[in-house]
Amino acid sequence: MKKHFSAKAKWLIAIAVLLAVLVTVAAALNAARPGESLIQTMLTPFRSAASGLVRQAERYYDYIFKYESLEAENKALKDRIVEMEEDVRSADSLQRENERLHRLLGLMEEHEDYKPPVPAYIISWVDSSWKSAFTIAKGTNAGVHEGLVAITEYGQVVGLVTEAGPNWATVTTVLDSALGISATVASTGYNGVVEGALATGSQGLLRMNYLPTDSVLRNNDQVLTTGSTVYPRGLIIGYITDADFDQTGVAKYALLRPAAELDELEQVFIITEYDNQ
Amino acid sequence: MLKHFHLTKNQWLGILKWSLYGLLTLLTLLLQTVVLSRTTQLRIKPTPLPVLIVCVCVREGPERGGIYAIVTALLWCFSGADYGNLSVAILPVGAILSAVLCRAVLTLRFLPTALCAFGVCLLNASIIFVFKLILPPTVALDNYWRILLPGVALSMAFLPIQYPLVKCISRIGVRDAL
Repeated sequence: MKKHFSAKAKWLIAIAVLLAVLVTVAAALNAARPGESLIQTMLTPFRSAASGLVRQAERYYDYIFKYESLEAENKALKDRIVEMEEDVRSADSLQRENERLHRLLGLMEEHEDYKPPVPAYIISWVDSSWKSAFTIAKGTNAGVHEGLVAITEYGQVVGLVTEAGPNWATVTTVLDSALGISATVASTGYNGVVEGALATGSQGLLRMNYLPTDSVLRNNDQVLTTGSTVYPRGLIIGYITDADFDQTGVAKYALLRPAAELDELEQVFIITEYDNQ
Repeated sequence: MLKHFHLTKNQWLGILKWSLYGLLTLLTLLLQTVVLSRTTQLRIKPTPLPVLIVCVCVREGPERGGIYAIVTALLWCFSGADYGNLSVAILPVGAILSAVLCRAVLTLRFLPTALCAFGVCLLNASIIFVFKLILPPTVALDNYWRILLPGVALSMAFLPIQYPLVKCISRIGVRDAL
């Protein structure tokens, strides 16, 4: 064994440990950025090319295998639109529902205050099971910087830009437990904080905490952003699927299905500027 | 002046070999981050890169393989890996020890390599998981069985593809050297 465990191998082990310590210290001092930025910038063209190929392959796959399911989905969506239109017609007697609908319809008006969002394709996903984040092919050169919100074309919240380089940026999604979004239940006005629910073992769902114990929550109630310096008001976060009392018993929580279908995302839109009035 | 840059056939073959390793590493990283990491519902994300690092280190030996492991672990860390700083130490140390173990006790065959790769992947993922248990935002303990172990097992599914490729690349230049 000793014969194979040369001095050079021992040195390499020592170097690896030293490098790990250096990287950790540099990250703590925020000095690892140049190294990370360099590697991410170098990888971006390869990732863009690879994700382009994957998108093309997916299109062919969908065309061949998913035509029938898309047709069924289209029919279901049309039925849902009819149902929702009926709801709209019958909603005027309920003031709360009116407000919710007003918010829904007003979303587009609010968007008039936005500077046109920056469209960006997703080129890679973070490969950890404990994090939900992806890299987009737009960065500081296109006006994308940390702290900006990523949405879908329907005004659904996707996540927040947490890192940015010249031609890339990392978006941490709403499913990640690191994000906390101030939110309100559209139909009733209850306020709470929405976080990713991975920590509590509910994968693919969000958790809305700090709701009043007497709050009445219904399935499929829409949850929107309340508006802050980071998140514009009225963006759709998700729909309530379940609710219960939290461990302390002094507050309720609700589990939400994210509005944005993160698995199906190809492109996101970054809101670079908005009027927070 | 060009005379100084003259390379022997073996040196050219060495450059070809390490370029192919580099290409394989890049392809694995792209596969891992562009294709395999897309899923958000199951949350099980396989990471074939650590498996490749162990494979190359076992085939190339603790010295040359160790340098490759350090460089690749750094690349992975800077490409945005979660807790990549821990992997910078764990993966090269694990890969070097695997190479030594395979040469001294086991053999340079598929099964010993698979055993070592599984051990290193599990160790890397487990140490990161311990940090995830302690530091916020924390994760639930049962995720170890529900997400981590299936993830490591899925990562190992790439070994039957990676191992023959690494074996072929590692043979470049060997006959000429003999």
